[in-house]
Amino acid sequence: MADDPQARALTLDATVLAGLDMLPDGVAIWGPDRRLAYGNGALRRSLDAPPAVGEAFDDFARRVAQSHELALMEPDDWVATEIADFGKEKSVDYVLAHGAVMQVTQRPTRDGGMTVAYSDVTAIKRNEQALRAAKEAAEATDEAKSRFLRAANHDLRQPLASLKILIYSCMREEDERVRAEMLHAMSVSALIMEDLLGALLQIGQLDAGRIQPRVTSFQLSQLFERLAIQFRHQAEEKGLKLRFVTPRGTVATDRALLERILSNFVANAIRFTEVGTVLVGCRKEGRMLRIEVVDTGRGVKDEDRERVFDEFYRATEERRVQKSGLGLGLNIVRRLAELLEHPVRLRSRVGRGSIFSVSVPLGNVWHSEGGEIEISETVAGEFAGVPVLLVEDDDILRRSMTQLLQRWGIEVHAAADEAEAVRLAAEGVSVRMIVADFNLKSRTGVEVVRALRAVFGAETPAMIVTADAEPRVLASIREAGLPVLIKPVSPPRLRVLMHNLLFEPGHAAGPN
Amino acid sequence: MAADLPPVPIGSMIPLTGPSAADGAEFRKGMILAVEELNARGGLLGRRFEPIFADTCRQTAEEVVAAARWLIEKHQVHAIVNGYNIGPQNSEYEPIADAGIIYVHANTLLQHHDTVMSDPERYFGCFMADPADYWYGPGFIKFISWLRDTGQWTPSSDRLAIVSGSKPYSIVIANAMAASAAEYGWRVCFGPKIVQTPTTRWREVLEEVRAANPAVLANTHFYAGDLAHFQRQFVEKPLDCIVYLQYGATHRSFSDIAQEAAVGVIVSSVVGLLRDDLGKRFEARYNARFGEGSTATIGCQSYSNMHHYAVAAAMAGGSGAPGDFEQNRKVAYALKGMIYRSVQGTIRYHPDWQAVAPYPVVTHDPSLGMPHIFYQIHDHRQPLAMIAPEPYNTERFILPPWMSGRTVARPAANPRGLTNL
Repeated sequence: MADDPQARALTLDATVLAGLDMLPDGVAIWGPDRRLAYGNGALRRSLDAPPAVGEAFDDFARRVAQSHELALMEPDDWVATEIADFGKEKSVDYVLAHGAVMQVTQRPTRDGGMTVAYSDVTAIKRNEQALRAAKEAAEATDEAKSRFLRAANHDLRQPLASLKILIYSCMREEDERVRAEMLHAMSVSALIMEDLLGALLQIGQLDAGRIQPRVTSFQLSQLFERLAIQFRHQAEEKGLKLRFVTPRGTVATDRALLERILSNFVANAIRFTEVGTVLVGCRKEGRMLRIEVVDTGRGVKDEDRERVFDEFYRATEERRVQKSGLGLGLNIVRRLAELLEHPVRLRSRVGRGSIFSVSVPLGNVWHSEGGEIEISETVAGEFAGVPVLLVEDDDILRRSMTQLLQRWGIEVHAAADEAEAVRLAAEGVSVRMIVADFNLKSRTGVEVVRALRAVFGAETPAMIVTADAEPRVLASIREAGLPVLIKPVSPPRLRVLMHNLLFEPGHAAGPN
Repeated sequence: MAADLPPVPIGSMIPLTGPSAADGAEFRKGMILAVEELNARGGLLGRRFEPIFADTCRQTAEEVVAAARWLIEKHQVHAIVNGYNIGPQNSEYEPIADAGIIYVHANTLLQHHDTVMSDPERYFGCFMADPADYWYGPGFIKFISWLRDTGQWTPSSDRLAIVSGSKPYSIVIANAMAASAAEYGWRVCFGPKIVQTPTTRWREVLEEVRAANPAVLANTHFYAGDLAHFQRQFVEKPLDCIVYLQYGATHRSFSDIAQEAAVGVIVSSVVGLLRDDLGKRFEARYNARFGEGSTATIGCQSYSNMHHYAVAAAMAGGSGAPGDFEQNRKVAYALKGMIYRSVQGTIRYHPDWQAVAPYPVVTHDPSLGMPHIFYQIHDHRQPLAMIAPEPYNTERFILPPWMSGRTVARPAANPRGLTNL
């Protein structure tokens, strides 16, 4: 049979056809009569409505346009072009309705027909797209970095130059006072550089997308308190009033990032206000709270209003008179606000002042995270803040007892002997209780309590602790009207006795 | 159940006599019901539980320590499971730690944290199955802030007056309230003023409070009778303020004494029976077993603690007698690792505190904390209205009658949708 040419051709034909069927890409062979002569298996799988053998190309093109399988902008135009392009060499990428990308490549055949290949290039296209996006981002970052470094370079050079001169002069300076002044100036220069590097780092992290907001609910009052501590001295130095109108209510945002926004606002307000007040307050706007920083400073010109949020932007007059501002604060504000999706606004009148504001969503008070998570007796224990005078001559015992009492929130004034205790009392240390060891070097605890009460001029509640469990000793202490605990002192027993002496004197008999 | 296996002795230190005897009786019932149910299902790996009750009388340190020693030395108990005892100040932890057994209680004490964290190895077996008293403070401040911020009540000012009883529990709560107030926009205008308790004479301190003119008045003393007198004396000349009374006002005896004056009072509990299906079914079983006059909301504490212990002991492969530190450490490990939904909410031990965290003050997830429930007395003859927090509340806040002259309570469009949660 192998020698029969006709049979061989048939076998070959069947083999070729079976092979074509196994190709991963769809293949369509159109005859010179513009009808489909052959379509392989992949063609049938890659199109919802594949052409049937014998179907006219023009009909197939119309059918495809009507099926909406390909995302076509102008289906009629597309059909006309396809019909006109029959037999021409071309390659087009189509996006299919389900999102995949198909590359359709056609080539003319020698007999006047054409062969068309349908390839799924979705993965290749996605990779290309990702690569292009990465390249664009890299170029943009590179450009931003270059611009940034040029500007930073300029601002960093200035304090560095001063620092070099100051160090040089300082090395030769004999006068102590002048040296001190120079050292102060050096520390200012170093601080400026530190600020700048810190800001650069923040912006770098923001650009790199490394800062992920962690949204929680909290009370703004905590944040205002921190800002007040941070800026009080700066404001005082300039003779400005810095006021915080503590708001009620809960906000839901990233606490640390909001603090950075507000601290930049307040720092700016103090920097650009010569006389008057910087006021931080809030207004409720529906489900949002607008936090405003109001100053009586020089204000921002209309034309500068947008640009103040740019990197290293400083108004022209500022460049002349101010050297301390970095021009990065508001840029950081803008980036952080964009990250948090909090609207930032600026209202200003030149010569009258500015109001910078950021709006944050209100939160649920039940979800508010307070300082209460760290549960501790030093905050709200029954003895929190109670002053106690401890007289104990053994150093180790005095230290361990002090630690125990401090853990309970007690303000401990410790003395090693009567003289030290009396001196503390005479110096004005006022206590609500005395805890005295019995066997002090030259005196008994009972005598020390008596002496201290004389100095205080009051029957201050007191207790004795003793390692001496001799019944005669215990009886003598009780006779003096003082409750006694035997060492080693059990913390719960000490606690009960202290509670009774302080709060329920009727129950204060010595448990031993 | 194998009849030849010895029972597992479980101690319970309960005030069966003295001023807290009413609560003690319920703790005893809770233990009995839990043990009966557990034994009916096969006990602990085939061994019957046997409860042994020790009376802690006035709940002083001496009485509670003596009870612990008696249970350990005479009865060789494998665990001590309670409701609460006020007064021992953790002195009972010492014999329990020496014996290395498990101790589960609802003492509601801040110093539990201090004791356990001071030596976690020694106190490995000591568990507090409810949140510390401390949490009443920030919880209450959040509650009044919630009323204010959601417009359910418009305070006349930001002034807060705090009166405290002389027990550590009351002082801690009063201090915690004062410590959290400013953060939420409240100013302490009076107190915390510690009044020697017990007492029924409040007129003098109430006069001082009136002079301070607060928008909120809190009394952290917790004896039902004393608080009823406080409230009666308050309404003699009421102020335009919210009145909050500590835990004791949840008791029937409070309303019985205060009568009409009780209406409008706010009270809260960090451990109370929930009114969901689980809670209702438990209450029905409890009343069926002990009679309609029983108080399931108190008995639920020892009941749940016992159930939780039994599950943990089963997970650990059994309980441990005094001295069997190794086995009891396994039980403690199981107790710590298990999130247990009791009829009063979730018991989930904090890994360091070995105490339960409250919802919503510490955890914002109701499945991980025990709800700090706020009640209001709407009708002094009826059970208290549970007004917060979601999702457990069943009623809503109303303006107390002594305040309702000034504003009209706003009807809620959705009676449960008050919190914006």
